[in-house]
Amino acid sequence: MRDSFGDKVFYSVNYILLAVGALTCVFPLIHILAMSLSDSHAVLSGMVTLVPVGWTLESYKLLINGTNIIQAFLNSVTITVLGVIFSMAFTILAAYPLSRKYFIGRSFFTLLLVFTMLFQGGIIPTFLVLKYFDVINTFSAVWILNLVSVFNMLVMRTYFQNIPEEVQESARIDGCNEWKLLIRIILPLSMPVLAALALFYGVGYWNAFMQVLIYINDTSKYNLPVLVQQMIQSQSLMQEMMHATPEDASQMQMTPESVRSAGIIFMVIPMLIVYPFVQKYFVKGVMLGSVKG
Amino acid sequence: MKFNRIAGNESAPAIQKDVIARSRKLRRKRLLRQNLPLFIMFAPVLIYFLLFKYGPILGLVIAFKQYSLAGGVFGSPWVGMANFEMLFNTPQMLNIIRNTLMLSVLQVVVGFPLPILLAILLNEVRKSWFKKSVQTLVYLPHFFSWVVIAGIVIAMLSMESGIINVWVQKLTGDVYPFLYEPVAWVAVLLASGVWKTTGFSAIIYLAALSAINPSLYESASMDGANKFRQIWHVTLPGISGTIILMLILSMGQIMEVGFDQVFMLQNSVVAGVSEVISTYVYKIGLLGAQYSVTTALGFFESLVGLVLVLTANWIARRFNRGLW
Repeated sequence: MRDSFGDKVFYSVNYILLAVGALTCVFPLIHILAMSLSDSHAVLSGMVTLVPVGWTLESYKLLINGTNIIQAFLNSVTITVLGVIFSMAFTILAAYPLSRKYFIGRSFFTLLLVFTMLFQGGIIPTFLVLKYFDVINTFSAVWILNLVSVFNMLVMRTYFQNIPEEVQESARIDGCNEWKLLIRIILPLSMPVLAALALFYGVGYWNAFMQVLIYINDTSKYNLPVLVQQMIQSQSLMQEMMHATPEDASQMQMTPESVRSAGIIFMVIPMLIVYPFVQKYFVKGVMLGSVKG
Repeated sequence: MKFNRIAGNESAPAIQKDVIARSRKLRRKRLLRQNLPLFIMFAPVLIYFLLFKYGPILGLVIAFKQYSLAGGVFGSPWVGMANFEMLFNTPQMLNIIRNTLMLSVLQVVVGFPLPILLAILLNEVRKSWFKKSVQTLVYLPHFFSWVVIAGIVIAMLSMESGIINVWVQKLTGDVYPFLYEPVAWVAVLLASGVWKTTGFSAIIYLAALSAINPSLYESASMDGANKFRQIWHVTLPGISGTIILMLILSMGQIMEVGFDQVFMLQNSVVAGVSEVISTYVYKIGLLGAQYSVTTALGFFESLVGLVLVLTANWIARRFNRGLW
C-alpha cells in the first residue's frame, strides 16, 4: 500500500521527534564525559560541549588520589552484591509459599504484605526501630530497608503460579518435598523472572542514596551516590553563596567541575557496561509486572 | 453430626461414617504436613515484616506523644492531638503540605501523558533498527540514580560555566538563574523527572499496543482514515484499559514527590517552593531530633496517600478495573 502525502509527513515528523528525544537522553551524558576528560580551564570557560577540549585524565587522577572514591566504589559493590542475594532469597521465601494454593492463611499473609505497600510508618518511626536494633552505621540498615519489595514479590508469585501443575505433580510423585520442588523444579523454570528481579534489586542497591544518607554516618562506609552527591552539593552551595555575594566567589576553594563530572561517570560506567546485556531481561520484567494479579 | 450432611444420609451405616471421618482426618493431617515446610519458609519473611514494616507503623504512636529520648516510644507522655494541631496552625507546615501537593500533582499532569505519546510514536516506526535504537536510548536514564541526574542538571545549568547558560549568555547577554527562580526551578524539577522516567514508563504501553490486532489498522486505512484518525480510533481505544490502570496507580502516589529528586535539586534560595514533607521530615525531624511533630506530619502524608489509593480503586471498581 502506498503512503498518502499526509502519512509521509506524519512519518517524517515522527522519526525526527523520536530521534531528538533519544538524543536528549544521551547528550547530557556525553557532555559530562567530555567535561571529565577536559582541561579545567576549558570547562570553566564553557568551551566543552560534546568533545573534550584539551584531553587529560587529570580529573580521574585527582578523584582517585584526593577522595575516598575507591572505598566508596567497593562499598557500593558490597551493598549491591550481598543486597541482591539477601533480597532474592527473601523474595523467593515469600513468593513460593504464597503461590501454593494449599498454603493455610495464604490470602491473609498476602494482604499483610500488600498493606505495607499502601501504608508505612514513615522516616522517623523506621529510624527509631532500626536504632533499637542497633544497625545504624552498618550496611545492614540498607539491606533491611530494601529486603523485600512487595511488588517484585507479587510478580514472582504470579510467575510461580503459572508454572504448569502437571510438572509439579510428577515431581511430587518422584518424591520431591517442598524444598526440592522449589529448588529443582520451580526456580530453574523461573530464570527469566529471577533475572529481571535481581536486576531491579541490583539497580536499587547500586543507586541507594537516602538509606545511606540517613543511616550511615561513618564516611568510610559511604557508597558512591552519597560521596558524589556531597561533591555536587559543595558546588551548589558555592553557587548559592555566589548568588548572595558574588565577590566571595574567588576566595572559595572548590572541587573543579571536571572532577565532579568524573565522579558522575564513575557511577554510571558499571551501569553502562551491564546495560546492553540485561536489556532484554528488564523489558521482560516490566511486562511480567504488568500482568495483573 | 457434621459429616452426615456430606454423606447425605441420616441412616448411613456407622462404618461408612467412620471411613469418611478417617479420610477427612487423614486429609487434614496431610495438609498440615504439607504446610509445615511452607510455614518454615515463610517464617523469616513474616518476622521481617512484623519487625521492620509493622514495627514502624506501631511507632506512629509517637505522633500522639511528646517523644523524649529518656522515655522512648512507649515511656513518653501522651499529648493527644497537640502535634497535629501544631501542624495545621503553623504557616510553614501548611506551606510544605501545599508544596508537596503542588509538585506531585504537576508531576502527574506533566509526566503521565508523555509515556503514552512516546509509545504511540514508537509504535508507528517501521524500521526496526531505528525503533530498537531509540528504545535502548530512552530506557537508559531510568537506571541512573538521582545523584547522577542532579549532577548533570547542576553542571549544565550552573551560572558560571554551565553549557546552557553559556548559550543563554550568547543569545541574551546575561545568564539566567534556572535553579534560583521558583518557577524555573519547578520547571527544572519536572523536566528532570520526565527525562528519567518517560522512556521506561512507555514499556507498559508498548506491551499493550502490541496486543492490538493489525487488521484494524488496515481496515481503518481502507475506510480512508489518515494516520491521526487511525491513532484516534484504533490505537487509543486499544490501550485505554492500560491508561486507566496506570492513572489509578499514579493517583496513589500523589502524596509522594520522592525524597532523592527534590532533596538533591533544592537549595535555600527556592526553599519557598522546594521544601516538601519528606525533605522537611529529614532535616527537622531527623537532623533536628524533633521526632513527634515530624512523625505526625509523616503520618498525615501516609494517611492521605492511603485514602487516595482506596478512593482511586473504589472509582476504578465501578468501571471494573479495580486492583483488588
